[in-house]
Amino acid sequence: MPARPDEDGDHLIRVIDSAWQKTQQYWRDDMARHFERTHWTPLLAESRAYLRALGECMELMSTAERDTEF
Amino acid sequence: MTDVADIHADIDALKEFRDVLTRFRHAQREVVERGDQEIAVTRASLEAKAGRWRSLLAGREADFAACQLAAAAAAEAGRFADCSAEASAVREAQERLDQIRRWQQRVEEEAGTFRGAANRFRDLLDLDLPRTENHLLAIITGLEAARGIQVTGS
Repeated sequence: MPARPDEDGDHLIRVIDSAWQKTQQYWRDDMARHFERTHWTPLLAESRAYLRALGECMELMSTAERDTEF
Repeated sequence: MTDVADIHADIDALKEFRDVLTRFRHAQREVVERGDQEIAVTRASLEAKAGRWRSLLAGREADFAACQLAAAAAAEAGRFADCSAEASAVREAQERLDQIRRWQQRVEEEAGTFRGAANRFRDLLDLDLPRTENHLLAIITGLEAARGIQVTGS
């Protein structure tokens, strides 16, 4: 059974977060800090906010289906 | 002695991160599409169920009306005909149809609320992330130029 889209999205976040942590080991100058503040942190926050909303929406869709199976 | 590869480890790490970011963008775009699809599937499924129960309700109402006619005729002849089973079947169909309609309404409300978050994320994926990738490319190119490395595949 395929995973729900929000679960796949969460997995992708974990993958990219791990890639960023690896990048940080080699890239630590002012540009890196600026990138983290202006690009990376907002990207992570907005992605997580969307996936949380998607998760809640998928949960409601499943409940709607279950609750109307007569 | 420091290896040349170590000196440019930041550039390699940035290139790799940029590739991961591009794959992330494409994969999350699929997640968004699948999310939209799930909502569409649920809407269609609820509509199909509503249609089925509307049809059942109409059939049961017809059965109940026929039973009532027969009961009236029977009463004139001094007999009794019971239509409680038909009445109960009508009630059941009506209740189930009402429940489906309530869920349809909740799904529409939730889909409406979710649409805002989905549109913001779509903009992030379609507009902001390509800009971020280009920004990283500019950084990589700048670092390579500063170190006199020939730009390849960046």
